[in-house]
Amino acid sequence: MTMAEDEGTTMSNEFLGLSINNPNLFYTDEPPPPPPMVSSEGIIATDITRKFAAAAATLAPGELVKDGHFTLFESVGALEIMDPKMDSGCLAPGESLDEEYDVARHLLPSEVLGIIDQLLSLEMAWHLGYPLSQTLLTNVYIEAILMPAPATIDEADFIRNRNDGAPRDPMFAVLRAYCLGLLKSCWYVCERIKFEHYYEEEDFVTNTYHRSLLDNIDRDLIRDELMAARSILHNIRRTISEEMAQALGFRLELRTAFLRAIELSELRSNPESLSLPWSQMKAVWEPINKSHHLGSPVPKAFSTKIQRKLASTMPPRPIVHLSFEETYEHFRKLFIDGIDVLKVLNYSDSQSLLNFVLTFQAQKPQPLVYIRTLLQTFLFKDMIILGHLSIRYVIDDDLAIVVLPCSRLLDPSNDDIEVPYDPRYAMAHQMELFRQRAAQSYLDIFRAFCQNRCRVRRTLYHAIQDWETVQMDAMAIDRLLQVQLEEKPIFYQPSLFVSEEVAPEPAYSLPLSSWALLYKLRLMEWIVQLGFELETYQPDELAGMYWYLGHLAKTRGQLVERIKAFTMHRRANHRLPLTPAMEAQYERSLAYLRVTMLDAVATWEFSRVLSCMYTVLLRLKLIVPPPRPYSTDALRYEIRMKPFLSITLPELPTIEAFTQGTTQPECSTASLIECASNAIGGARKSFDVLGKLSEQDAFAVDTHERWLRGTKNCFKSIIAASIAISNLSDGTKGGVEGGEGLQVVVPKPDKGYHEWWIVPKITQKR
Amino acid sequence: MEDTRTSPEGVQTPAQTEAADYLRSLLNKNLRVTTTDSRMFWGAFKCTDPESNLVLQHTYEYRHPSMQKQAEGSAAAAAASGATATPGSSVAQTFKMDMTSRYLGLVVVPGEHIVKIELEEFASQMKRGPQYRSPTEL
Repeated sequence: MTMAEDEGTTMSNEFLGLSINNPNLFYTDEPPPPPPMVSSEGIIATDITRKFAAAAATLAPGELVKDGHFTLFESVGALEIMDPKMDSGCLAPGESLDEEYDVARHLLPSEVLGIIDQLLSLEMAWHLGYPLSQTLLTNVYIEAILMPAPATIDEADFIRNRNDGAPRDPMFAVLRAYCLGLLKSCWYVCERIKFEHYYEEEDFVTNTYHRSLLDNIDRDLIRDELMAARSILHNIRRTISEEMAQALGFRLELRTAFLRAIELSELRSNPESLSLPWSQMKAVWEPINKSHHLGSPVPKAFSTKIQRKLASTMPPRPIVHLSFEETYEHFRKLFIDGIDVLKVLNYSDSQSLLNFVLTFQAQKPQPLVYIRTLLQTFLFKDMIILGHLSIRYVIDDDLAIVVLPCSRLLDPSNDDIEVPYDPRYAMAHQMELFRQRAAQSYLDIFRAFCQNRCRVRRTLYHAIQDWETVQMDAMAIDRLLQVQLEEKPIFYQPSLFVSEEVAPEPAYSLPLSSWALLYKLRLMEWIVQLGFELETYQPDELAGMYWYLGHLAKTRGQLVERIKAFTMHRRANHRLPLTPAMEAQYERSLAYLRVTMLDAVATWEFSRVLSCMYTVLLRLKLIVPPPRPYSTDALRYEIRMKPFLSITLPELPTIEAFTQGTTQPECSTASLIECASNAIGGARKSFDVLGKLSEQDAFAVDTHERWLRGTKNCFKSIIAASIAISNLSDGTKGGVEGGEGLQVVVPKPDKGYHEWWIVPKITQKR
Repeated sequence: MEDTRTSPEGVQTPAQTEAADYLRSLLNKNLRVTTTDSRMFWGAFKCTDPESNLVLQHTYEYRHPSMQKQAEGSAAAAAASGATATPGSSVAQTFKMDMTSRYLGLVVVPGEHIVKIELEEFASQMKRGPQYRSPTEL
């Protein structure tokens, strides 16, 4: 048996290659070399100004003197000093580096509110991927709190060296407490994100420009400050008006709740109790939005000049402006997702867990990176799934659902056998080998879907290579185990989607490799489907890509049929009568196979519909390929199919088969339309049945609503497709030359009902 | 010296060769480059051209405190020493302030903005061996 150990790390390597380990030109947060001692006894500085200039002047035009290891390519990233666009330290004539803004100036309550609301917008901009230097670190109060770095809670103030004992101005106390709560939660957010997999340039900038975000100041002390500020507001509510005191109070409450939410999320325990602070934030968010008008903006309290003091190789950049409406929407979504993501902790079964991750991440817009990293933490932290399950438990659960209900292979008591010639000893040993081989690949599927959508697709490219080897290793283990289980081959005859009768052949169940193949097929389908979602394919390629998707879905359907046949056979041939618990396990597995089969059939049929439709549109020249002077069909096929090229099962169709399947030259246009119209009925029925499944039968426990919405949207896409077909059919009644009267629009993925089903809009020309 | 430029045939004069050798000897040494706005850049010398445009690596920017900050510092120093000041002492004039610095990384300092270039060397190394002398000093 060959255990391709080094292969197993392929995808993990992909993750290691993420930007967390890859310092970037601009955002690099690695510590700079220690600053030099400007005056030191041991170092002597000699003025070489004239000598240097004279020597340089003798160089020929264009000639360079440079260090051999230094490339001009590197120099492209260099900042040009004294260029105002590049050099953040370059001052305009008469301009001072110091802030002209006086943080000690008296603030009106409305101004504090205005500053806080601006900070909310900037905080959200940071969550959306802009660096701190263009967002929160442009605020003079925050800068004054952070620089010089405060060592104690009392030093954490924008007014330093206050007379001890003298009470703070109430408005200063409110603003300071807000800023402290904000900075501390930003620190936690940043740490959480850094700890998980994310993409620095695409998702989030963790650079803090060597500002410490109050990491050494205790969370409880900050909470005390927030509480104190709230009681101050309570005391002065008559002076500043009840309304204003409430508005400021809600904002402080938001900060308290955010810190609490972060604190609780470390527990990974009961989602109901964890969701309390999130619900609180959601509740105060509405009144915050409604009281926004009470604030008066203080634009002078925000300045890009502060960037000059940040350790950064970035040229000065403008402050990011996010409208309060956008801020409102994004925060609202953040709080809703914050509540929703906790539901993942309610483990029901491995397939519901997978569906949770899939549907949660498929939301448009996708949850913010903080929520996505929170999801990763819940899933994987310390290699304990959801805070209480072993990886083995989840994998065994999955194997039991998909291929091995009530199997002796998954009996935990096998582990206790110490007699080497007992078959159970070998089973325990081989199964453990298999789990070790497959665990990483299995978990990586969940991890992959926690990334941004483009990265999901890219990561899946590597994953399918990985699953290819998992499947081969699983095959070897299957062969060893069938001996231990004394499995007898059965005569298996595939029937689904098979055009000609195949003679039944003796076959073994091969459960582990079937399991691996099923995942590989799903991954391959997801790659193609994400290709539609991400607009990877041109309209004229859709016929081919839907054909290929149909091909994959069909293969999956055949595999599920095979798995089901062996499961049924095993159920019927048990040595002992089945206990109710065993019956339930079989039922659960068969329910899963049923839903998977329905999904495969629906995908296959609907793909066939769309492939036929696009072929017709190409024939009628209603979709015209763009001129591609340097490309050929073969080259394009190669590039499109590159991720699938090295996969041996299912083998990539030859370009001839692909062209034949896509263009279907033997079919008349009329029969293609008829074919599409027939297939749509099947697809419609499958999605209809799927939509009626209970959350248990759909394996979508705790995510059923989102899952159902996705299924319903597929169903709506089908309705749209049937309308398009009938319009197409009407418009082509005149024969092959028909279609002149038709107008075709291929909508963007987000303009249809479902991103994975690009249904052309076909209408009569006016 | 007749012609310090590259001759039409591309042959370098001895003076040119020596000048280039001198510049090369400075590579990777730490320079302090002062610009017209009186900032100083400290970094490892990587590259130059006929216009004395300089590329420095791992650069720090140093800036003298602003007039306002100097005044504040001076006042603070005077206040601090006020309690113990002996008559006639002029503490306010001799207080020390750190230059503010920040890390910039790789920079290009255009020759036209350079007012001073200083070479940093360890005192111990300067004593050892003969010091290089540029053509103009020969």
